[in-house]
Formats: sequence, structure tokens, C-alpha cells
Amino acid sequence: MTLEHYLIAAGILFCTGLFGMIVRRNILVIFMCLELILASATLTLVAFSRFRLTSGLPDIDAQMLVFFVITVAAAEVAVGLAIIVSLYRSTQSVHMEDLHTLKG
Amino acid sequence: MPIVLILLVFLPLAAAALIGLRAPARATSLGTAIVMVFLVAALNHYFDRESPSMQFASSLTVMENPGIALAFGIDGMSLVMLLLSVLVLFAALWMIDPLADNARLQYAGSLLIAGGAIGAFASTDLFFFFAFHELALIPTFLLIGMCGRGSNARSAAWRITLYLGLGSLILLVGLLALHHALGQPGFSITELHARAMADPIAPETQSWIALLLIIGFGSLVSLVPLHSWAAPAYAAAPTPVAMLHAGVLKKFGLYGLLRVAVPMLPEGMREWAGLLLVLLLLNIIYMGLVTIACKRLDTMFGCSSVMHMGYLFLAVAALSLTGPDNTLAYRGAILLMFAHGVSIALLFALADRIESRTGTLEIARLSGLGRAMPSLGFLFGIAAFASIGLPGLANFAGELLVFLSGFHGFRPSEGLQPLQWATILAVWGVVISAVYMLRAYRTAFMGDPDASRRHDVLTTEEKLPLAALAGALVVVGFFPNLLLQYLPF
Amino acid sequence: MSPHYLEIFVIGLALTLLMADAFFPAREKRVIAWIGASGLAIVFGLLFVVDPAALPPDTIAPYYSADPHALFFKGLALIATIFVLLLGCDFMPVLRRGINGADNDRKGGVAESFILPLFACAGMMWMASATDLIFLFLSLELVTISFYVLVASMRRQVGSLEAGVKYLLLGALSTGMLVYGITWVFGATGMTKMSQLAVAVPGMTDNIAALTFGSMLVLAALAFKVGLFPFHSWIPDVYQGAPTPVTAFLAVASKAAAVLVLARFLDPFLNNPEIAAKLIPVLGVISGATLLFGNLGALGQYNFKRLMAYSSIAHAGFLLLGILGRDFTLVSFYLGAYVCMTLAAFFAISIVRRSVGRDDLSAFNGLARRNPALAFTLVVSAASLAGVPLTAGFIGKFGVLMGAVNAGYWPLVAVAVPAAAVGFYYYFKIVRHMFWEKPDDLEPLPVGRLSTTALALLTAGTLVLGFYPRLLERAIQDAPIVPIPAATANTADTP
Repeated sequence: MTLEHYLIAAGILFCTGLFGMIVRRNILVIFMCLELILASATLTLVAFSRFRLTSGLPDIDAQMLVFFVITVAAAEVAVGLAIIVSLYRSTQSVHMEDLHTLKG
Repeated sequence: MPIVLILLVFLPLAAAALIGLRAPARATSLGTAIVMVFLVAALNHYFDRESPSMQFASSLTVMENPGIALAFGIDGMSLVMLLLSVLVLFAALWMIDPLADNARLQYAGSLLIAGGAIGAFASTDLFFFFAFHELALIPTFLLIGMCGRGSNARSAAWRITLYLGLGSLILLVGLLALHHALGQPGFSITELHARAMADPIAPETQSWIALLLIIGFGSLVSLVPLHSWAAPAYAAAPTPVAMLHAGVLKKFGLYGLLRVAVPMLPEGMREWAGLLLVLLLLNIIYMGLVTIACKRLDTMFGCSSVMHMGYLFLAVAALSLTGPDNTLAYRGAILLMFAHGVSIALLFALADRIESRTGTLEIARLSGLGRAMPSLGFLFGIAAFASIGLPGLANFAGELLVFLSGFHGFRPSEGLQPLQWATILAVWGVVISAVYMLRAYRTAFMGDPDASRRHDVLTTEEKLPLAALAGALVVVGFFPNLLLQYLPF
Repeated sequence: MSPHYLEIFVIGLALTLLMADAFFPAREKRVIAWIGASGLAIVFGLLFVVDPAALPPDTIAPYYSADPHALFFKGLALIATIFVLLLGCDFMPVLRRGINGADNDRKGGVAESFILPLFACAGMMWMASATDLIFLFLSLELVTISFYVLVASMRRQVGSLEAGVKYLLLGALSTGMLVYGITWVFGATGMTKMSQLAVAVPGMTDNIAALTFGSMLVLAALAFKVGLFPFHSWIPDVYQGAPTPVTAFLAVASKAAAVLVLARFLDPFLNNPEIAAKLIPVLGVISGATLLFGNLGALGQYNFKRLMAYSSIAHAGFLLLGILGRDFTLVSFYLGAYVCMTLAAFFAISIVRRSVGRDDLSAFNGLARRNPALAFTLVVSAASLAGVPLTAGFIGKFGVLMGAVNAGYWPLVAVAVPAAAVGFYYYFKIVRHMFWEKPDDLEPLPVGRLSTTALALLTAGTLVLGFYPRLLERAIQDAPIVPIPAATANTADTP
């Protein structure tokens, strides 16, 4: 397993997330795809950190960022799901097609 | 003494603000205008004719990088323009009917338009020179749209605003390019000028900067083919706006060409002089023919003001082709700017009076006004003859100098150059002006008055602004040196 | 006093208010806004007495900078937040209806609408100071998550929720791209501190592809926040749907902070000739396309908030052009002017919305008769947004155009000039509705004392800065955009 393997795996994950974001119409699924993107970023970070040894230890800066990303993602999910739930309450739907009150 | 000039610039703006804050509109604005006339008189009195530099100079740095300063100062050319501005402003403010709808807005707007023009003429910093001119943009838009005459006033308001907006943006890019090419940190016109003299810009660079400036200034002065905003806007505009815009503000473009483009970009202007000659002939001949076809007095005056810009462009072209020692062109251009400003303002003011008496401006429906209202007929005669360019009136002196300048350095052995050909063709413009002005005069003022209309003669109050403008035309026509003495050559 | 106490003070204030909210009677929520605004005003005053040299050198200074740009943007964020809180006070009836429904049972809290901006403000102040990518990411997320809630806060209105969901999805996507981009920049350089990047990146010759990829991703993420093409599509919907004070906050403060971060982040990469060769054309195309999309999109709009949304896209294009011109003092000035004029416009929108009940342009018909002073302020603000000279907005546009001319970006100038001319049309359309059109009813339109004061201040600011820009210029002082403390340059290699 070299750095490249991790990077390619993370890249596939990122592209999957981005692709899902574009093609899926269910807001919850889109939200999951966003989590995939964040996961790919954390995987890349860990890989970079593991393969950049400074005085024999992994680079700690990147791992710190990983923890922050996980925390922020959790906060984002909490707020995001709350918004999606209240949207569902008022429109009875979580599909992008049903969002059409705002038009120019 | 710089305070006089600073006051002159800021007084109209302050008066407009006061009127916005519910000061009595007519008293404030006319009082301001009278004070401004005295301020300009003071400037005339203390002006040092021998000194070549900017006088009454003052400067306040408003931005360090790039160096922009709120700098004022005048030379002979700006002094004449200031004189024109206050004269027309006074007449225009007087013409406003204080009982009309939006009268307050008309007073404030007219003051802002004039204040912008005066600020531009008095600025010696390129930034404020440009910025002050744009002050008129919003009042013009508002006034034409709100108090405009005719059914297409609103589209005329849009057209003038967008044309002038785009034109001035192009001009702005040209000025910025000029500033960049001269490599000056600041925007002072005198410093930029000194730099351009000491270390001229490379000819190819000059060429395209000059093109930008010609397009920019040209669209502000209604150079064909950038002229189509002018006639409809002037026809639709309320009288004070038409007077100030056609009489004063439009001269900003020419003033800019004479102040910035010609001295700083001699090579570039020479390169485009050929194009300018063609366009100015279109202005004179084509627009002249369009004017002949006009059916209404206001459109006719609007078109004629576009047409007469051709003579002024002829002076610019002559300067570009024959070099700065062609002082006749300078003097002629400045004199003609003054004369045209006063005469077109007078014409628009008269049109306003005619409409208030007869309710129409269609030439075919007017008749016998001269017999019914002799003083109106007399004043209209002066304005029309001035506009044609008859001797004894200010326009004649200006046009004569411009035509003569076209033959500056002319050697018969070399035959006629394009400039001379253009000059000869341009003289035909006088004939065209005579055709439409005299025809309108004959139809509207000769013959028997229409009995069904009431024709109250002009009251003294109405006559006063008209007489002031007409008097200026006559006095300058007989003694052009009154103005020319301030010019340095 | 060390500058980093400013944000701590703001966060402390926000937390205190959040807890105090429980004890305030529902009728008195206005007091919370007042306390918040006055607290922020005190922080704004403290900005002038803080001493950047007092930053604790080991614990804070490596992540936090208090250079003139940072302080300037903290000031902007504070001013914007203060005005947004005041705007919220004025907008309270509409907020209540949006949160509690038409029957207004007063169960839902209005207070959060006044407290969350404080958190966002602290986040923006941190963004202005962040010199470490991790810290930057955190402060950006603090802002973004506060905004998710704020945008969706009128939960009885589908429009607000819809805007919230759209903002949430695209905001989260931009977060993902930001992290992924930071990851690649870290992978290529092993650094997360901007001051180290500023030293190291310009000379780098290996890992260029990774660096370019990373910087493009971060650029894309920030483009979302600023509203640059092709990531601008959320702006009109979100601006229209969000409560007006939140829209103003989004338009003004969030954008200003993101622009500063964008300029800071891009600077080292633009100094590397190899990366710049790829980045500058991309930035140029983005800037030109944003100008076109923003201005042309605004042409057909009849909803004032949507119009302002497109206008904010157009301004983003100008701002990017300014960043390309590399004269950040002028960009800062542009943003300062933008804050004044945009806030004034949103104040006018909220006043009209409250009394007329709509925010279409036709709601402004005949405003000149109903309230001449309000119409005048809106004329000044529209003129400034359009870039009419002698207003602050013109100096911004002037500076940006000058930067582009000096740098020789002629194609961009050729796009920017017609775009600005198109701007005249749609901003003057507002003026047309106020002055030319007949109003539906001639009742004078009342304006509260608070809004009058705020509008007067903003209008005066727009006009005074247009005549005397030196006031703001002094605050920025031509400092380098990425501060490089002498200490970090030496310790760059020791982890």
C-alpha cells in the first residue's frame, strides 16, 4: 500500500460524492454524498500525514485537521437535518423537484 | 483667492441640498445663481491674463495611492466656460415655473447639472474632471422621465442615460490608459501634461488611446454616429434641462478634447483626424438635412445642436492636423462653444415660451407670432440669426475663426488638403442652417396670427432671462475680444 | 490589549445573550438586539486600541494575525453586524410572522435571529485574521453553519426553508471542496500556515500539479462563498428566500470576509510563475463570466432582493478583477463602499416590505412622493452600486478598472465596461420606479427613528467616501496581503 493507493481510493470516493450530488434528486441522498466528499478529504489527510514522517512520527497538523473536520461535519449534519426536517414538515417532500417557490 | 473658485463649485451643490431640505426653492436657487454670477465676475476681474499657469489654484489630496486630489484652478479657456455656465444657469433657473409639478426637483436638478459642469470645468485633476461631469447623469434621468414632454420622454431618458453612461465608461478607460501610459502616480492634469510634453507616449499607444477618447468624448458631444440620444432627449427634456444640457454640459466633451486629448496625444489625434473630418461632415451635412426635415421646433433645435457640434469638431481636427500653433482654432473653438451654448439655450427657452402661449411646437400649426408677440419675434430673430451665423452675433465670430483656422498654413501651391476640403464643405452648413431657421421663422412668425389662440405678450419677468442671453450674443458678437482677451494667445 | 480578545469578547457576549434569552419576556426581545449591537459597538471601539504586538507569540500568533487588512475587515464585519441587528429590530414583525406563523403564537424564538449573527460575526473576524488553513476552515464553518440556521429561520415560510436547504447543500459541497483542497495543498507542501506558504510556494518547482489542483479546489470553495461563476447559482434563490436582514448580512459581511480570504489564499500561488500561468487565465475567465452573468441576469429581475442578488454577483466579478489587479487596498476600499451602499439598499427594502408587504420593484412605485428622504437615500445607494461618480461605489470601480488597465488585462476591461453600463440600466430601474411611476396609494410611508439614523449614517458614508476616500484608505495602509512575521520565516521548517 503506497500513498498513491490511498489517494486514488480517496479520489474515487470524492468523485462518487460529487457525482451523486449532481445526479441524485433526493435531498437526504445528496446530503449523504456530501458526507462521502468529507470522508474522502479526511482519508487523504490521514494518508498524507502517515506518509510524511517528521522525525519518525506522522505529521500531526493534518491529523488535527481530521478531527476538526469530523466535528464540523457532525455540526453540519445536525443543523442540516433539522432544516431538512422542517422543510419536510411544510412541503411533505424531500425532493429537489419540489423546491420551486423561488423563481426569478 | 482660490476660495472664490471653490465657492463657485460648491455653492450650487449646497443650494441643491438646501432645496432638498425644504428651503424656498426659487429664492434659494435664483439667489445662488446671482451670487455665482458675481463670483465669476470676480474671477474675471482678478484673472491674470499674462500668467500661463492655472490660477486660483487649490488642492486637497483625497487619496494617496493613486494620487487623487480635489484640485481646482482655471485658465482662460475654463474661465470662458464658467461664464457660459453661470449665464445659462441663471436663465434656466429663471425659466422654471415655480408652480409646476416637481418644481422643487427641477430647481435642485438644474443646480446639480450646472454644479457638475462647473466642477468639471474648474477641476485640474483628471479624476474629478471626469467625476463632476457625471453628476448630471441622475438629475437628467429623473427630470426627463418625470417632467418630460411628449409620449416618448421616458425612452428618451433611458437612451440619454445609457448612451452617456456607456460613453463615459469608455472615456474613463481611455483616461486610465492615458494615465497609465504617462506613468504618473497622480492624476493632476498639469503634471500629466508636463509629462506628455517631456516624454511623449509612443505613437502606436497614442493612437488607440486617442481612439478611446474620441469615442468617449465624442459620444458626450453627439458626434455622428453616436448622436442618436441627443435630439430626442432635448426635445423631451423640460426646458431648464435642455438649456443646461445642450448649452453647457455638452461642451464638456469638447473641452475635454481640447484640454486632454489634443495636447497630450498629438500623434494619436493626427492619426484619427481623417476619420474625424468625415464624421464631422456627417454631423454638419447629414444632421443638417435631418434638421431641415424636422416638423417641430424642439426636435429641430435638438438636431441643430447636434449639427453645430460639427464646427467645433472641425476646430479640433484643425488643431490635430496643423499643430498647437494654430491658435485661431483654439480661439474659434472656445468662442464658438460660448456662442453656441448661449444661442441654443436661448432657442430652447423661446420654444418653452412659444409652447406656453400656443400649446404646440409644430411649426406648421404656428403662424403670425411675430405680429402677436413682437418682442418674442425679435428675440427669436436674434437667436435664429445667431444660430445661422450672421455677422454681429457671437456665433459668427466663432465660426469665422474656425473656418479660417482650417486654412492655417495653407499653401496654394500644394493644392487643397482634406482639411481644407472639409472646411469648404462645412461652410455649406451655414446655408443649411439658414434654410431651416429662416423657414421656421417665416412659418411661425410671419403671416396672420391664429385668432383662436390667446397670445399674451411676454411679461417683463419672462423677458429678463431671454434678454440676458440675447444681450450676451449681441455683445460678444460685436466685441469678441471681451472673451478672447482671456486666452493666452 | 491583544487583538485576539476581540473575538473572545464577541463569543462571550453571544453565549451570555443566548442564555439570558430564556429570562427575557417574549415581548422584549428587542432588548437583546440592543445589547448585542451596543456590545459590538464597544468591540468596534476596542479595535482602535488593540496592540497587534501584544499577541502571545507562541500560542496565538502562529495562527492569528492582526495586520491592517485583518483589523479593517474586523471593523467591516462589526459594522455590518451592528447594522444587521438594527435592521432585524425593524424587521421584527415580519420575522415573528415567519417564525411563528400567521397566528403568532409566540412559541418560537425571535432572539436567535439576533444572537446567531454575533456568532457569525466572530467567525468572520477570525476569518479575517486566520493565517492557518485549519483555523481558516474552522472560522469559515462557524460562519457558514450560523448562516444555515439564519437563512432557514423563518420556518413557517416555504421560501425561507427552501433557501435554507439550497444554501445548506451548496455550502456543504463547498466545505467538502475546501477541505479536499486544503488537503492537497498540505500534501504538496507539508504546511498549513499561510505565512509559510507565502515564503515557500513562490519558489516551488516540484509538486506543481498537486498544488494547482489544491488551489483550484480552494478557489472553487471560496467562489461559492463570494458568488463567482460558475458557483453563483444559489445566490438569487437564497437571497430572495432568506429573511431580509439575513440577506443583507450574507450579501455584505459573508462576501467581504470571503473576498479577503480568497485574496490571502491566492497570493502565494499567484506569486509562483508556474502556477500563476494556469491560475490567472482561469481567474480571468471566472471574473469576466461573473460580470456577464451577474449583470445580464439582473436585467430581467422584478424582485428587488433578487435584483440585489444578481447585483452582488456582478460586484463579485469586479472584486475578483480587483484581486487580479493585485492592488488589495483598492479591493478593501471597494468592499467598504459595498458594505455602505448595500446595507442602505436593504434597509430601504425592509422598510418598504414591512409597510407594503412585498419586495417587488413595483412596491417602490412613487416612493419619491410617499417618502422623499427614503427615496433619496435609495437613489444614492443605487447610484453608488451602479458606480456613478462622487459616490463611494465609483471609487471602487475606478480603482478596479485602473488596476486592470495597469496590469494590461484588456479583454477583461472590454467585458467590464459594457457590464458596468448594463448596471446603469437595472439600478436606474429602481430609480425609475420610485420617481416616474405612480404609487398605488399616496399615504406617507413612515420610517422608524432607528432606521432613519442608520440610513442617514450609511448615505453619508457613501457620499463622504465618494469625495474623500482617504478616510478609509488610511485604515488599510497599503500593508502586504499575507503578513509574514519575521519569526515564522525562520522557524518555517521546525514542526
